[in-house]
Amino acid sequence: MEDPNSTIVSAADVRRRYGEGETAVDALAGVTVGFERGGFAAIMGPSGSGKSTLMHVLAGLDSPTSGTVTLDGTDLGPLDDAALTELRRDKLGFIFQFFNLLPVLSAEENVLLPLSIAGKDPDPDWVERLIEAVGLSDRRDHRPSELSGGQQQRVAVARALVSRPAVVFADEPTGNLDSKASDEVMALLRQAVDDFGQTVVMVTHDVHAASFADRQVVLEDGRIAGDGPTPPPGAADVGPTTAGR
Amino acid sequence: MLRLAFRGIASRKLRAATTMLAVFLGVTLMAGSYVLTDTINDSFDQIFASSYEGIDVVVTPKETVEQEEREPPAFSQALLERVRKLPQVEDAAPSVFSNVRILTQKNDPIGSEFAPNFASSRVPEGFETLTYEAGRRPQSPREVALDAAAAERKGLAIGDRVKVAGERSAASYRIVGLVQLGDASFGGAAIAVLTHPEAQRVTGKQGKVDQLLVAGADGVAPERLARALSAELPQGVEVRTGEQTAAKESSEIAEDLSFLKIVLLVFSGVSLFVGGFLIFNTFSITVAQRVREFGLLRTLGASRGQVLRAVIAEALLLGIGGALLGVAAGVGFAGAINSLFKSFGIDLPNTGTVLAPRTVIVSLLVGALVTLAAGVVPALRATRVSPIAALRDAELPGSTGARRRLTAALAALLMLAGVAITCIGLFGGIESSGQAASLIGGGAVAAIFGVALFSPRLVRPLASAIGRPIEGLRGLTGRLARENTMRRPGRTAVTAAALMIGLGLVSFVTIFAAGVKGSVDDAIDNNLAGDISIQNTDGFSPIAEDVGPEVTRVPGVGTVSTLATANARVAGVSGDARVSAVEPRTAGEVLKLDFVDGSGDDLASLGRREAIVDRTYVESHGIGVGDKLRVTTPAGKRVEYDVVAEVRDNADFLGDFILTQQAFREDFGESKPFTAFVKLEPGADAGAVQGRIERVVDRRFPAAEVLSQDQLKDSQSEQVNQLLGLIYALLSLAVVVSVFGIVNTLVLSIHERTRELGMLRAIGMSRRQVRRVIRYEAVITSLIGAVLGMALGVLFAALISSPLADEGFSLSFPIANLAILLVLAILAGILAAILPARRAARLDVLRAVAYE
Repeated sequence: MEDPNSTIVSAADVRRRYGEGETAVDALAGVTVGFERGGFAAIMGPSGSGKSTLMHVLAGLDSPTSGTVTLDGTDLGPLDDAALTELRRDKLGFIFQFFNLLPVLSAEENVLLPLSIAGKDPDPDWVERLIEAVGLSDRRDHRPSELSGGQQQRVAVARALVSRPAVVFADEPTGNLDSKASDEVMALLRQAVDDFGQTVVMVTHDVHAASFADRQVVLEDGRIAGDGPTPPPGAADVGPTTAGR
Repeated sequence: MLRLAFRGIASRKLRAATTMLAVFLGVTLMAGSYVLTDTINDSFDQIFASSYEGIDVVVTPKETVEQEEREPPAFSQALLERVRKLPQVEDAAPSVFSNVRILTQKNDPIGSEFAPNFASSRVPEGFETLTYEAGRRPQSPREVALDAAAAERKGLAIGDRVKVAGERSAASYRIVGLVQLGDASFGGAAIAVLTHPEAQRVTGKQGKVDQLLVAGADGVAPERLARALSAELPQGVEVRTGEQTAAKESSEIAEDLSFLKIVLLVFSGVSLFVGGFLIFNTFSITVAQRVREFGLLRTLGASRGQVLRAVIAEALLLGIGGALLGVAAGVGFAGAINSLFKSFGIDLPNTGTVLAPRTVIVSLLVGALVTLAAGVVPALRATRVSPIAALRDAELPGSTGARRRLTAALAALLMLAGVAITCIGLFGGIESSGQAASLIGGGAVAAIFGVALFSPRLVRPLASAIGRPIEGLRGLTGRLARENTMRRPGRTAVTAAALMIGLGLVSFVTIFAAGVKGSVDDAIDNNLAGDISIQNTDGFSPIAEDVGPEVTRVPGVGTVSTLATANARVAGVSGDARVSAVEPRTAGEVLKLDFVDGSGDDLASLGRREAIVDRTYVESHGIGVGDKLRVTTPAGKRVEYDVVAEVRDNADFLGDFILTQQAFREDFGESKPFTAFVKLEPGADAGAVQGRIERVVDRRFPAAEVLSQDQLKDSQSEQVNQLLGLIYALLSLAVVVSVFGIVNTLVLSIHERTRELGMLRAIGMSRRQVRRVIRYEAVITSLIGAVLGMALGVLFAALISSPLADEGFSLSFPIANLAILLVLAILAGILAAILPARRAARLDVLRAVAYE
């Protein structure tokens, strides 16, 4: 286990059960894991392994049936919807598989959205740096429908970073992109960790995408089946566990 | 495919419910209108059938000219003797049946506001059609039998006293009997039975009767008796059998009521029209959302026709379902409309409930047709889905630019055509008022369609204009709301158009009513030189003839001059002329006349066979000073009057021409004035004198009220307000339908935006903020509707009132009222957003994010 002081988000013996009685399914069957500040972790596993559920629980989007989740020193258990919303707003960033940009806003407005929701004034230098970093300086006034998938996902990355959240959660960020666009987005996330000191937790079943992370946590049947640093290039196809596509 | 239609309905319950509601509300009003008017007609049939039951023949005055607020003139009782002498006649009885006011001892009217009160003669036993529930028939002139329902309403019993105010000063009578007419109910009306001589006295019909009831000798059939009587009696009377009389009076009432039915049906039509917009929008949106489903059906081999039939079947099922529920509810709603009328003082008799087959058939047909008409375009759009759509995240094939331009051009054309048709109806010199009204109405409908079709192009600028202030105030949530309404301008436009219709009509009547009130105020200022007016408390019936002489005696009163009106026919002119009768000597002191030809001296010296004509009458019929007016009076007399002067009567205050009251009495057989105008003595204390007049009037003429000029204006505008209230109440149904339209559109749009809303919630938008976005979206939509509606309302009020400018109609824009309408539109939006906003806020973030 890492030093608890440097752990930004952690789950302790978290279980999540869906349904009741005979048909009940344990999406998470006792998961204990922590993610360190400034790290880039990939949560991997086959469909139904519980990797998405784990992310949802860590991000306060879903609440565990039992166990505790601590985010930046706060126990999420006792928080109600309003408090969770505020926590997500102030401390988390999200990147989704389907980009999920607002079609009615321009690229720049989409980037600024979390700040607008919070009613905060943006830091112009930081916004400028972000937009430049994601390479959309000349497309900031375009609407999402005028952007390619890769461009849209880069807007989403900038949006996730704009409020300098404690953790950025990415849910299959490359799931809808071709390999070139995937690489661009992953490089961006890598840059966010390396240059901006951002913490990123990414759910993916794409081994190539996962290879950009520092650490790979593998889930199987709701339990952790593997956890370790990303193997050096060349060994990627072997991986730390049996997880595959 | 029918099963598919059922499934489609079952899987989208809310949408199905609102679609049905759109049909339901309109049909409820429609069926309710039919049921109510059928029931009222039926009740009157009962009343008249019972009134003449067992009466062989009835003799009544012949109505040469139809009167609006007057009864036909009574005829001489001397005819009774001639009737009795006929060998075919067994017996005959004279009877008076006349409008009076029945009051409690405290001057509290016994009937409801606009329901008539009658005084009727006690007739001999053999002619009695009333049944006595309690007590006995009145014997002495100070006794009365009252209808049981009216007595019960006021808690009166045998031994109590009531006042009857007729032509003479009110007299008090002791109740000796309570009567009932078969099983019929009089509604809010009331009847007081008096001895015949007393009935004649109180109604000012000494020596006259309204009816002769005749019983035939043994073996003489009523028809034969009627023929014999016709041969014997003079031209001025009408002879009918009891059955014929009942049928005639029933049909007259039915004719009067058909207006009520048409008005109610027009309002239900408005609701259904608005409902059509809702249905169109709902089906358009759901067809768009079901593209994949239709694509799949096509892939599996369904033909375009089958897809079309599935969607149409769904629409029809909802339409007929809604209509069925509407008919059921309409039966109950008839009672509600009746209560609504009652609350405005119109209390009509209704006994039992009449559900005619026609009501059910028409309602179902209309429900089906409305949904069919509204659903056919979306259904056709569904057939354009290609099989490949099942496999892709496809959108419905959109309209091309050229097509959109064509639509806009057509819409603009339709708007212009609508306005043009209205103008033809207004200024085209169309004689028949029915045709003119249809043209005006048809034009308005075309213009509404035009605006509705064109409005997608207006959504962007309007949403911008309306949304900016909200955005300035609320930032992001306002911004998102504004952008969301502009996303699918067509959808927003149709939703807003539904509200536009309701609010357009509301602003139209508001503006029009303000114009009427202003014009009435002007008319009073411009035409009345007196200080005080005395009129019937109901505002339209005549007052007692004795009012004038009595009030003249009040200290401080300078002059009293009365005004009477009636209809007459003029040779060479189609339609009835409205005639005023004045007291020439004093009229100049209380009335301001604007002479074009002649002067006040002509008025003061107006002779028995002389007339003063209004300029507009001169212009339209070419009868001017020096000509003769050849008049057929309501009494059936033909009289010639010399036109001696011409006035400009812009407010149409005095009708088409003015005669003397002497001519009225002698030629028209009319003596009751409608208004007595009072001019105070110079220097008299107006308040004190009015108080003294009121005391006299209250004591002796409780059916009359005393009003200063300002009070007169208030009482006139009060009447306009009452009518306005009734119209608002009926229009509110259409507005309710359009509010549901907003609900529907929002719910369906939210459904489409599930993922987007989930993302917003995930990245930290609070539930409150989500609700706010939806709420502002609804408010912007409703304000677009309100702005368009008001623009149409203003346009049409200006158009339709312009031909009335000649008659003193002054158009004014009640800014405050229109501002209130805008506020109400905002409230409607907020109300409409409650449910959708809650849905959006409750959205499960996880499902939303994972939603495809």
